[in-house]
Amino acid sequence: MSQIDFEQIDGMVIAHLKGDLDAANAAAVQRELAESLGPDALNLVIDLSRTRYLDSAGIDMLLRFSDRLDHRRAKLTLVIPESSQLNRLLMIVGLPEAIAIHPSLDEALAGQRSGEAS
Amino acid sequence: MEAQQGAGSSISESRRDHLLSITDSGLGYMSLEDMLSELLERIRDALEVDTAAVLLLDEDRGVLLARAARGLEEEVRQGVQVPLARGFAGRVAAEARPIIIDLEHADVVNPILRQKGIRSMLGVPLQAEGRVIGVMHIGTLVLRDFDEDDVALMQLAADRAALAIDDARISETRAVTAIMQRTLLPEALPEIPGMRFSAKYLPAGTGIKIGGDWYDVFQLTDGRLGFVVGDVVGRGVLAASVMAEIRTAVRAYVMQGHKLAEVVSMLNDLLVSMGRNRGATLSLLAFDPDAEELEAVVAGHLPPLVVDPNGDPRLLEQKAGLPVGVRAGNEYEAFHYPFPAGSRLLLYTDGLIERRGESIDIGFQRLADAAAAAARHPKTNLADDVYHALLDEMPLEDDVALLAIETLPLGGPLEMILPARAGVLAGLRSTLGRWLEAAGANEDEQFDVTLSASEAAANAIEHAYGGSESDFTVSCEQGADEVTVTVRDHGRWRTARPPGGGRGLSIMRKLVDDVEISSDEDGTVVKLTKRLADRS
Repeated sequence: MSQIDFEQIDGMVIAHLKGDLDAANAAAVQRELAESLGPDALNLVIDLSRTRYLDSAGIDMLLRFSDRLDHRRAKLTLVIPESSQLNRLLMIVGLPEAIAIHPSLDEALAGQRSGEAS
Repeated sequence: MEAQQGAGSSISESRRDHLLSITDSGLGYMSLEDMLSELLERIRDALEVDTAAVLLLDEDRGVLLARAARGLEEEVRQGVQVPLARGFAGRVAAEARPIIIDLEHADVVNPILRQKGIRSMLGVPLQAEGRVIGVMHIGTLVLRDFDEDDVALMQLAADRAALAIDDARISETRAVTAIMQRTLLPEALPEIPGMRFSAKYLPAGTGIKIGGDWYDVFQLTDGRLGFVVGDVVGRGVLAASVMAEIRTAVRAYVMQGHKLAEVVSMLNDLLVSMGRNRGATLSLLAFDPDAEELEAVVAGHLPPLVVDPNGDPRLLEQKAGLPVGVRAGNEYEAFHYPFPAGSRLLLYTDGLIERRGESIDIGFQRLADAAAAAARHPKTNLADDVYHALLDEMPLEDDVALLAIETLPLGGPLEMILPARAGVLAGLRSTLGRWLEAAGANEDEQFDVTLSASEAAANAIEHAYGGSESDFTVSCEQGADEVTVTVRDHGRWRTARPPGGGRGLSIMRKLVDDVEISSDEDGTVVKLTKRLADRS
């Protein structure tokens, strides 16, 4: 069963994760993300608004995927609402240094665009 | 008298040969079809008659169906059906005795007999284990007085045929039954943290070990758990095949994301449109672990029984819709009930509580008492305990299906033994979250302890011995101002771990106040302690 709802806006892929990202599904989610991007160097926004828990296996997967996009000169951005517990967790592991995090999809899209322009 | 005796003894020489031809053990090695044809041919020779036929009883529909014929082959080709107790063969079957008739004065249902110009007939019942399973009859184109010897020889042939038919049916039914039982009931009940499932399925009677009762457990698309218990009218392979259709249809509609009440009304319309002509009753329920709520739709089925965390039983006596499969366009209604941790749900079929000549209310009371007692003093599991309390002393009169669902109480210490599979992590977090909330942890604390325990569990799963076969244990305890979650496995904690494992450990150390890891030959224990800010 699919773990993600996809949409495309302005040549960017938006991946709305349906639930938690953990050791049980990290590999399947990574596969689904890779398939959605195909061979194109598209920017990717992963929306974690519906994700309550994200464990170390999930964090590793996000970092690996970010590296992979870097090599193709594309960018990974996360959407995490301000109210989410994930902000505290990701601070602890220093994720914001590696991956841009925005509190809403609109801000993430704006951030991606300005990133392209610079 | 004398003349008859004389004739009898002079015939008996040739009769002995015929007797041998009919009881020939070589017949036993043929297929049923060939064997019946050969047997009828030999009877035609032996008794010097023009026609011979075998009809078998279809008990479900109450008709006799032509199965093999000699001199009357049209009867089989046209699929002649004779209702029980009507016509010549129908009377032989209904009265279970040999009957001789003269067609000029008889009630004959089958037009082929008249078209053929048959004048006299002798029919004998085919019996197996005291039940009539069919009829064998012979006919002549000239008037004939069948005598006792004729009847005796026919009965001998009929017994031979009945034996072969019964053998063939039993082995066919055994094969079908074995396949159906494998596909009709869930292979295994789900293993979900904080929940316990148990079930019992017992077809009544001997021989055909399959009835019209079933149960099923599955995951809904919205994350809830679905349960079904139902009962198709009748038993045997036919009832079981309708049950299989229902089970598949319910799962298919549920997977498409329909509401429970819609699932049942779609199922009803489907069965009616397929013309199965078999009613079924069922209860379809869904449990939402986060909302601690039960949703129930009942179609003509007995009410589900809930035992609340205090041990008080109650029947969910809601408005029940009509049984499915009888009339199209039925509407069904869903009702919601609180189902807090520590509640138990029993779904069952009527064989569990109904007794001949007794009011159903007495049965309900007996069930409620048994469930409450089993909840207070568990012996093995809820389904077993209730079953033994109700049916140990009773002969099984009807099939029984029983499914018990228990949510573990979250008030005190909680211990869960889980299979070492990553699939259990989400359920583990959901249960831990609810336990921590009950223990007075605030949202941050719930998140921190739950995620840390999930990390420890993921590590236990990753390093479990024996792959998917081994277990690990998660226990939760509540102190004066702290909670402790302990994860025990049977593998070794790896110190030299890939980066992910190291990150897991550092996440745990930052989210909870104390992480204690000890490892020996028996396995690894990770003990996580978190002080709670506000315990008001």
